Amino acid sequence: MMSQFWNTFFNWPMILQTLPELLRVGLLNTVLLAVLASVIGVIIGLVVAAGLLSVGRWVRLPSRIYVDILRGLPHILSIYLIGQGLPLAGLTVFGTWTYGYAALAIGLVEAAYTAEIFRSGFQSVDTGIVEAARSLGLSHYQTFRLIVFPVGLRRILPALTGQFILVIKSTALVYLLGLSTGQREMFAIAQDGAVNNASLAPLVAAGLLYLALTIPLTYVVNVWDRRMREGRPVRATEVPV
Amino acid sequence: MSAETVMTRNPLRDTTVRFEHVTKSFAGTPVLRDIDLVVDGGTTCVIGPSGSGKSTLLRCTNLLERPDSGRVVIGTDVITEPKADVDRIRARVGMVFQRFHLFPHYSVLDNVTLALRQVRRIGRDEAVKIARTRLDSVGLTAFADRRPSQLSGGQQQRVAIARALAMDPEVMLFDEATSALDPELVKGVLAVMRDLASAGMTMIVVTHEMRFAREVANQVAFLDHGRLLETAPPEQFFDAPRSERLRAFLNEVL
Repeated sequence: MMSQFWNTFFNWPMILQTLPELLRVGLLNTVLLAVLASVIGVIIGLVVAAGLLSVGRWVRLPSRIYVDILRGLPHILSIYLIGQGLPLAGLTVFGTWTYGYAALAIGLVEAAYTAEIFRSGFQSVDTGIVEAARSLGLSHYQTFRLIVFPVGLRRILPALTGQFILVIKSTALVYLLGLSTGQREMFAIAQDGAVNNASLAPLVAAGLLYLALTIPLTYVVNVWDRRMREGRPVRATEVPV
Repeated sequence: MSAETVMTRNPLRDTTVRFEHVTKSFAGTPVLRDIDLVVDGGTTCVIGPSGSGKSTLLRCTNLLERPDSGRVVIGTDVITEPKADVDRIRARVGMVFQRFHLFPHYSVLDNVTLALRQVRRIGRDEAVKIARTRLDSVGLTAFADRRPSQLSGGQQQRVAIARALAMDPEVMLFDEATSALDPELVKGVLAVMRDLASAGMTMIVVTHEMRFAREVANQVAFLDHGRLLETAPPEQFFDAPRSERLRAFLNEVL
């Protein structure tokens, strides 16, 4: 009974059998997909955030709708609709390169979240330093580029890194887009292994690799977050005038 | 620190700032009611109880707040005109805030060079030279490479003054520049402001420092509930106030 339970999850020979391909193909594709999707997510997220913060109603409204829809739908549904839908609808921007549609699908979903992160970061920037910049004659755009963006970005780096962890996990969803053998990320490889061997052990192997990626990142975020919260209090001595 | 070191150039331009029928409301509550005030060079101190509209009046000068009606004229430029090049006019009007508002992600030196480089388009070496002169004039050359967060409040405020002065402004606005400072740090900031005044800078100073107003101002203005109740030279203002309201106010603060 106990050994049956154990063997269901921790069939070590099976895990070791799956590991080489997971490491050689899956890990690389997972990381590559996560990075590609994050780059797309950050770029589009920035544009959408600018839209959310716009004074123009007709820019703000579509940005808000975009964010609300993609944050409101199950990721698996959005990824299916975008990743399968684009080529089906004739928008074959990536040709038959499924990988591209997969990265774009995750990226578009992530953009909705990063847009909100950026928006909150930029809005948290003290209006005082914005006014100080404007009072010196800096334009609206210069003030954003030189003051609001760098100060806001620093504040949201932990949240953005946290979002990257979510992207890594989201890459598992693209298996349903049907990637070719060499394009498979970790979950797809594990899933195939599980089906072929009638065992969950390949999925456990993949799980261990996901944890090896995400747990260290989680700690980086925590340390980063704590350091930002505490700041580095340094007290200089006042020099006489 | 002498007057000469604060003003490396000695403009004595006596730029006039004029408020004409300036009115401003926030959410239906009038904050400024038909303000007429001429600052004909020199130092004008604006005093009054909190909520009287002093800061709003100051912020209308460089359009951080836009008046609902009326005009603000700086020299020959009408900054309230719809077509006015507000950024260009702001670059000639320095402002110092109650809470310093230094840029936290830049060093002290970069805080001072930023607008020189980005607005004036001055090259890095020249901008650094100007910035160092300005920092020297407020006694903070040694702190050029520090971050603002590593400075005391008084030091931060003096950097903020240097940052504004680096643009070689014609007019300086001070919005309760010493109110957020510990008492022992107030003196250093006021000393810098005195030097500026005696060097001939046109200044509008919103302050609670009655002694500073009496000793430095050419003109003192009293705001109460958004109305400009009294404008007079300091001796008359403090020793022979005309309005009952100002007499009552001075009795409370002096």
